[in-house]
Amino acid sequence: MSAVAHRSVGLARALGGYLGLAVILALVLVLVATGVLSERRWAPFSDIRVWRFLGEGLWVTVQIGATALVVSLVLAVPLALARTGLPGPLRWPVIAWIELVRATPVLALILGITLYMPRDWLSPMWSATLALTIYTSAVLAEILRAGILSIPRGEIDAARSLGLSYPLAMWLVILPQAFRRMMPALVSQLITLVKDTSLASIAAVSELAGYARSTHSFYGNPAETYFLVACIYFVINYTLSRIARRLESGRAQEPPVAIGGVVDQAPGGSI
Amino acid sequence: MFGQVIADNFDLFAQGFLTTVLLSVTAMTLAVVIGSVMATFRVWGGPALSGIAGFYVEFFRNTPLLIQLFFFAVVLAPANLGITADPLIVALIGLSIYTGAFATEAIRSGLLAIPPGQAEAARSLGLGQLDTIRLVVLPQAVRSVIPPLGNVASALVRNSAVASAIGTRELLYMGILVNTRTFAPEALLGILFGYWLLTLPLSVGINRLERRLAFAR
Repeated sequence: MSAVAHRSVGLARALGGYLGLAVILALVLVLVATGVLSERRWAPFSDIRVWRFLGEGLWVTVQIGATALVVSLVLAVPLALARTGLPGPLRWPVIAWIELVRATPVLALILGITLYMPRDWLSPMWSATLALTIYTSAVLAEILRAGILSIPRGEIDAARSLGLSYPLAMWLVILPQAFRRMMPALVSQLITLVKDTSLASIAAVSELAGYARSTHSFYGNPAETYFLVACIYFVINYTLSRIARRLESGRAQEPPVAIGGVVDQAPGGSI
Repeated sequence: MFGQVIADNFDLFAQGFLTTVLLSVTAMTLAVVIGSVMATFRVWGGPALSGIAGFYVEFFRNTPLLIQLFFFAVVLAPANLGITADPLIVALIGLSIYTGAFATEAIRSGLLAIPPGQAEAARSLGLGQLDTIRLVVLPQAVRSVIPPLGNVASALVRNSAVASAIGTRELLYMGILVNTRTFAPEALLGILFGYWLLTLPLSVGINRLERRLAFAR
């Protein structure tokens, strides 16, 4: 294969998703122009105000996702350390918590918490964020634990023999390396989190999916609206997955961390 | 008495639980079929087939399942070609296509995990292309594909709860129904126990299998 062909294959692989999306959107434009697809149903999207309205919903999605991510990261550290470091019986409640949360549908957590959280304690939006945080922190704890376990035992022995206490050795030597190794898995989990924020709309929280509902019930074009909103989510998440791939290829010498023993999957949203 | 609400509405919970099981098993079967075809396209297909399969995977695993289900519910409803847009059927189609994207990646990575030398050796020993795949590549691929597919199945059981949003009467739907009728928080526990009954044994099984396969290698 020639160098040029090689490069273009590489480029197609790197940006194939955007290319595919552009082709499909162009196809939609052609089909609308030729009258195969209903012009009345697609026309609202030529109005910038519709996009500004959806943008407001996207902003709520970003707020929920960013808050849940940051708080989950903070919570994941003690959870992972407790599961790896505590002696047997003290560890059991932590293991039980992590495994039970991970075995629960996110939607059940969101509905359960928003139904029973008093409104003056937390608004539905923040109740849903809490539910997403509980779930994401348990998953991140497992990813971080796999990262910690992948650091060779000699690292902590060396740190201890240099006079660092166990907590300091953990904090200064093990955790930074574990964090670096978990980056691709972390971005994958962020994609899952972005997708899961849409579930908040079932608990009457208006984020992007909720704004989509308002849009299509005003214009009477649900299929078109949901398709375009799916494209918005796709652009965000596909970009994140490209970042995850970048992170992974930059660190090919160290095995990336994955729970469930899958290490050589292409990065993307975890399920 | 604790548990009274669950006992009183046991038929509703059982019905929801069975629907969740039925939905998960059928969708997983379809997802593996879709995944096998798409993974074959990605690994052995030409640029066009591989590109289409690649876009399918990227699009469906990077968009929320909820939006996909709403889309299918809307698109399949008005046609009404003899089939009513039964929420169960819509959920089945949506979940299969969504999960199929993840199954494709699991199967593809299983196929790629086999060293190319295996197929080359089989060919040089005189096996044909088909026999090479059937006798040498697939038996090894199945082994490395089963644990990740197990994870996909466990996620599918949990994702099937999203089908309640389009009115599929599965476990979460029934549990919330009991909860709104009785105002009893216990109903929510009934939901959790139902899902745990399915997902916990699944993840224990996957862990065991992974350890055994790791030894066997």
